Amino acid sequence: MNRVRRGLHVLPLTMAALFLASSAAAQTLHMPPHEKYVLKNGLTVLLLEKHGVPMINLLAIVKTGSTADPAGEDGLASITAGLLRKGTKARTAQQFAADLDYIGGDFEAEAGADFSSVSAEFLTKDLTRGLELFSDALLHPTFPQAEVEKLLAQSIDGVRGAKDDPQQVLGLYYYGYLYGTHPYGRPAAGDEVSLQRIKRDAIVKFYEANYAPGNTLLAVAGEFNGAEMRKKLDDVFGGWAARTVAPAQIAAAPPVKGKRLLLVDKDDATQTYFAFGNVGIARTDPDRVAIRVVNTIFGGRFTSELNEALRVESGYTYGASSFFDSRKAPGPFGILSFTKNETTTPAIDLALQVLQKLHKDGVTDEQLKSAKSYIKGQFPPNIETSRQLAQIIASNEFYGLGDDDINQLEARVDAVTPEMAKQVIQKHFPAENLVFVLIGKTSAIGKAVEKYAEKRDAKAISEPGFWPPPSAVIK
Amino acid sequence: MATKTLKNGMKVLVQTDRSIPNIALYIFYRVGSRNEGPGTTGISHFFEHMMFNGAKKYGPGELDKVMEANGGANNAYTTRDVTVYQDWFPRSALPLIYDIEADRIRDLSFDPAKIKSEREVVASERRLRTDNDNGGLLDEQLWATSYIAHPYQWPVVGWMSDIEHWTIGQLKHHFEMGYAPNNATMVVTGDVSPEEIFALCEKYIEPIPSHAPPPPVSTVEPEQLGERRVIVRKPAQLPLVLVAYHIPHTNSPDYYALNVLRTVLFQGESSRMYQRLVDKDQIALDVSSSVEPAFDPNIVEVVAQPKQGVDPQKCERAMYEEFENAKNAMISDTELEKAKNIRLAEFYREMRTINGRANTIGTYEVFFGDYRKLFDAAKNYSAVTKEDVQRVAKAFFGANNRTVATLIPENAEEKAKP
Repeated sequence: MNRVRRGLHVLPLTMAALFLASSAAAQTLHMPPHEKYVLKNGLTVLLLEKHGVPMINLLAIVKTGSTADPAGEDGLASITAGLLRKGTKARTAQQFAADLDYIGGDFEAEAGADFSSVSAEFLTKDLTRGLELFSDALLHPTFPQAEVEKLLAQSIDGVRGAKDDPQQVLGLYYYGYLYGTHPYGRPAAGDEVSLQRIKRDAIVKFYEANYAPGNTLLAVAGEFNGAEMRKKLDDVFGGWAARTVAPAQIAAAPPVKGKRLLLVDKDDATQTYFAFGNVGIARTDPDRVAIRVVNTIFGGRFTSELNEALRVESGYTYGASSFFDSRKAPGPFGILSFTKNETTTPAIDLALQVLQKLHKDGVTDEQLKSAKSYIKGQFPPNIETSRQLAQIIASNEFYGLGDDDINQLEARVDAVTPEMAKQVIQKHFPAENLVFVLIGKTSAIGKAVEKYAEKRDAKAISEPGFWPPPSAVIK
Repeated sequence: MATKTLKNGMKVLVQTDRSIPNIALYIFYRVGSRNEGPGTTGISHFFEHMMFNGAKKYGPGELDKVMEANGGANNAYTTRDVTVYQDWFPRSALPLIYDIEADRIRDLSFDPAKIKSEREVVASERRLRTDNDNGGLLDEQLWATSYIAHPYQWPVVGWMSDIEHWTIGQLKHHFEMGYAPNNATMVVTGDVSPEEIFALCEKYIEPIPSHAPPPPVSTVEPEQLGERRVIVRKPAQLPLVLVAYHIPHTNSPDYYALNVLRTVLFQGESSRMYQRLVDKDQIALDVSSSVEPAFDPNIVEVVAQPKQGVDPQKCERAMYEEFENAKNAMISDTELEKAKNIRLAEFYREMRTINGRANTIGTYEVFFGDYRKLFDAAKNYSAVTKEDVQRVAKAFFGANNRTVATLIPENAEEKAKP
């Protein structure tokens, strides 16, 4: 709290881990060698040995995420993941915490839209204990009723607390308003109403239905001996009983037609936080590299068109950016910024002008060249640690991308032509069809922002839920 | 690690690591908001922004454009004590980065139009981090109440009225005061040899003349003689409580024992505070502590996030009891061992990237006076005894030495009442 940064792309989205996970460097850039095999019970294992730092990272991707939450019970996948460490066959929640902390280990479990993930990190010398803790949580959770109640109560207050900071929740309102009742519109961590509906039985059922070896990818990266690790993994996970899981299906949401605007009232706000855009692309979209190059120019770095216009030239804001949150099915595209109440419409007008200019003028050869260097030059720190490498191999396996997504990135970036840039702008950057979400002081800005859309909705930030309102989901 | 002190007094530290073809370059200037005064609070941070807004060779906007076009990126941060500039780039951008850094250290320009727009940018940053963020807002009140004499009392970002009013003359004065090469330390890690870096330094940095560093901060915060309390009332869904305790400056013999105590009390779900407030009493969502590196006598800051409707004083009472327990009885052998294991794992987490290493090496060099203390850290933690931990608990965590800042939610209806 006592550091003030010059800043950069300040992302109001809690789910924005993939702010275009940047790209490649020198021609030699490639993924370190790793192996893949499948246990008899169907568990896919990915092993990557990386020496130099005596640590090991484990990451299990369970191929079911929050999109599988039943209507009205948003947060079920997330609560299930959160409870894995809160009581197992071998340990109470307190014992698990004590054993984990004793080795200085990290354990995280969460549900995103496309999948749930369970990860651990510990020193190589603690491999046996670390692996045992990780598998205890993943394979043997007991979901004690008292822990269920505790976590649900904490999570409900967590949502309330997040609403005290508009930056933390702008993305949740934006995704909800953009996707409506499509699964990508729901809050992965639930809301104040949906979390109250979740019962222990549903959690146990969710776990049993989805946490199965055939529905799981396990990535292991770090400093270890491969042969020894394979044996240990066989011992620990070989006995995990196979179960059939129906693969999660997510239908593609069509882009929104026309314009609409949601104004979320926060009466004490001195600054308006805004997002606008439309449905973007899937993680495997063949245009993804060209989009990354164009988005770098448009809103993906400090000297992007958006940041130049809204921050550097006008001083309207501390930061303006754009993102594609690419997912299994087409995920959102959005433009994000914030500005003081008085400059709300000038800032949004300017952002719209920058978007129009992109469509009208495209990008220059000089910008293309610069963006390519930037992407390639900034990529290597993304594959520096075993934690990052475990995430990449697991995620690429999940999306069916393979190592080429990294190994060919540089060549693919270099291959982007002005013509391709033009095409992706037309195809993937919205122009007229736009969904706006603003969090701000309605009494100060409400009238002025009416001009952005004929169709408008409003709610107060203190009202439970995001969008659609919880009452519209469950009758 | 190779080190060299240039003729103008700047110390340069280089650690080669060729695991990725990139380089991290950090420059630590020993100037921060402690070197400011009433009327110019926040000027160090504002100045940090101005360091990107044009010099003699690379004019306004050019620094970022040229750097990004060559695959590089940058950022910077300002604290109460230091201003740190960070460049991350592929090794192919190496001579260029030195040209840019030398240009702005030597020949910064002050364009009135840029000052005007950057003032707005910083005001927006303040609204983002402080005025519209309950944690940031309360933190500002905590420091302002905890210190009554020493310059740590004002916020790094500055009071809004100062942001609106500082002058070009004050900016120039700040540059002349803080940006002497002899007041800076450069740390470089990554795909580069010390010889390459030292040669670039000789060419680009060494010719920049040294001059007097900022005048020493002579004000010493007087001993706190009783609890201080500050309340913020505003619309909010959840209350918040922060507690500060005065502790010595960073390079003090108590540093390691204090960190062990904080680890036992606050780190991980097995920590005493989490177990008590979050797990057992279920009155808080989260409880944590933090300490920033500091040249002068410092504070440890404790944050408890009460659940909705919980009286923040309930969280306070539970925390005070846990501090009392740590004073009345020694921590267990297991807790001591656990804390040391956590510190060791944290060390590897900080040191596994070239960026983390550049920042950590620089922090040790600047705040402990010698980067080698970094490599002694494990040994220094090993030497901490249960008695040491109990001693620091008794020495610093008493009622008379604490400042409490509380945010009380006030809803719109109550506010409307006469």
